[in-house]
Amino acid sequence: MANEKGVELKGGMYAFMSLRIDTADLARIDAILGDKVQQAPGFFKDTPVVLDLTPLTHPAGSSGDEPGAQLDAAALIACIRRHRLVPLVASVTDKSSPLAASVALPLIEGGQRRQTVTDGTPGAAPGFAPGDDTLTGAAVTVDRGMQEQAMDLSGGGAEIEYVVRTPMLVDRPVRSGQQLYARDTDLIVIGQVGPGAEVIADNNIHIYGPLRGRALCGVSGNTSARIFCQSLEAELVSVAGNYRMLETIPADLRGKPAKIALDNDRLSIEPL
Amino acid sequence: MTKTIVVTSGKGGVGKTTTSASIATGLARRGFKTVVIDFDVGLRNLDLIMGCERRVVYDLVNLVNQESSLHQTLIKDKRLDNLYILPASQTRDKDALTIEGIARVMHKLRKAEFDYIVCDSPAGIEKGAKMALYFADEAIVTTNPEVSSVRDSDRILGILQSESKRSKMNEEPVKEHLLITRYNPSRVKDGQMLSVDDIVDLLAIPLLGIIPESPSVLESSNAGKPVILDDESEAGQAYADAIDRLLGETKPHRFMEVPKRGLLKRIFG
Repeated sequence: MANEKGVELKGGMYAFMSLRIDTADLARIDAILGDKVQQAPGFFKDTPVVLDLTPLTHPAGSSGDEPGAQLDAAALIACIRRHRLVPLVASVTDKSSPLAASVALPLIEGGQRRQTVTDGTPGAAPGFAPGDDTLTGAAVTVDRGMQEQAMDLSGGGAEIEYVVRTPMLVDRPVRSGQQLYARDTDLIVIGQVGPGAEVIADNNIHIYGPLRGRALCGVSGNTSARIFCQSLEAELVSVAGNYRMLETIPADLRGKPAKIALDNDRLSIEPL
Repeated sequence: MTKTIVVTSGKGGVGKTTTSASIATGLARRGFKTVVIDFDVGLRNLDLIMGCERRVVYDLVNLVNQESSLHQTLIKDKRLDNLYILPASQTRDKDALTIEGIARVMHKLRKAEFDYIVCDSPAGIEKGAKMALYFADEAIVTTNPEVSSVRDSDRILGILQSESKRSKMNEEPVKEHLLITRYNPSRVKDGQMLSVDDIVDLLAIPLLGIIPESPSVLESSNAGKPVILDDESEAGQAYADAIDRLLGETKPHRFMEVPKRGLLKRIFG
């Protein structure tokens, strides 16, 4: 059996800027990029970006010329690199499209256009969905504050957007039998999580109150996710699938403010 | 403005019907035109506690199915002029109720200018309980001082937040009240029962009242007379206090301490 120590394959979530191109006019892209980078050279220097070509590639199955058919992918990438941005990966609607095929970058398939909800108010929880007891956060949101910082290179040319997912905020107790899931984001509960309740998040979980139910963070594999609570009385805590039951939580930590994280595949529970 | 109050708990046998009868009677005694509805279709009990079991002609299911009029169905309380009882059907089950049908009944009661509609919920979290809480403006969550009852109350609070009309219409949430029944301070002291503080901490909702465990509750039920009418009993006084708090008064909670026994009692038991 091979020794796996030293090499580890893990899922992770990282924030990148995305550079969206929605024109095939290379000269124009060059001009806009030059202009923007000049405004804040330090900010852009060697910044990794995700090259979003979805506006220029057709969705799978559609026919006709692509909007980006005239674009020379190699020249585009060279142009971006000349402005000291580092394209890592290209997002396209269909990997088999001609433009996608000519891009010398790893490809990921993105949606038609990313849906961005401009109002990032986490505010009052969207309400428990009728019919079941599940709450899900808004899918993709642009935080209001970040939006001002977002590098708008548009003018019909290219656009860099910085996508921040607003946390899901619940400002009342989570009751026994209720289940909350914060998809792709943090979950903040102002109040207690009752016994028999379940709070789940792809990222961190913050409980401003006693945690008496189950809390599972990083459920999509984010091993750097953490759980914070004001009073640890949980039935179960889990980070990226590594869990512990109350019985195995040291007695001196119970009922105290605590932080739960994954430390070398071991669940560490520390006082806050 | 008609106010709808549901008396609910999740768990059975904690005193929902006793509470519904006393709360409705207490409100009527303060001059409010009040109706108390038994939602426990198939397991009709409220009529017994209210002492009107011999006068049931039509019931809630008849009214929901438009087989009887409101006037025909409501039973007028024999002690208080402005108190009415809407009994459940004993021969049907909860499937006989529909939201549309209940909505029609509620509309008729509002038009008849009732001040309070008290809904006595069946146990459980199934259809009957959900029907009873659907139209609630306020909820009295009845809890016994023991862990399983507290957990079930927590569950029903969650259902109030997700299944009530107010939550579905995104209106102001249902106002929640905690009523602790069968409280026995000496058993709390011995660690056999949860204390008031424990329960309030676990459920995190405002405390409406503490009803002490008392033989007068059973005596009143057997006599078909809501215990709130027994002014001598501690339970009756505790329900009267709860009515004051429900109407917005602040009153200190009573019956939380072990009663002091006199010297003679201590010697002679």
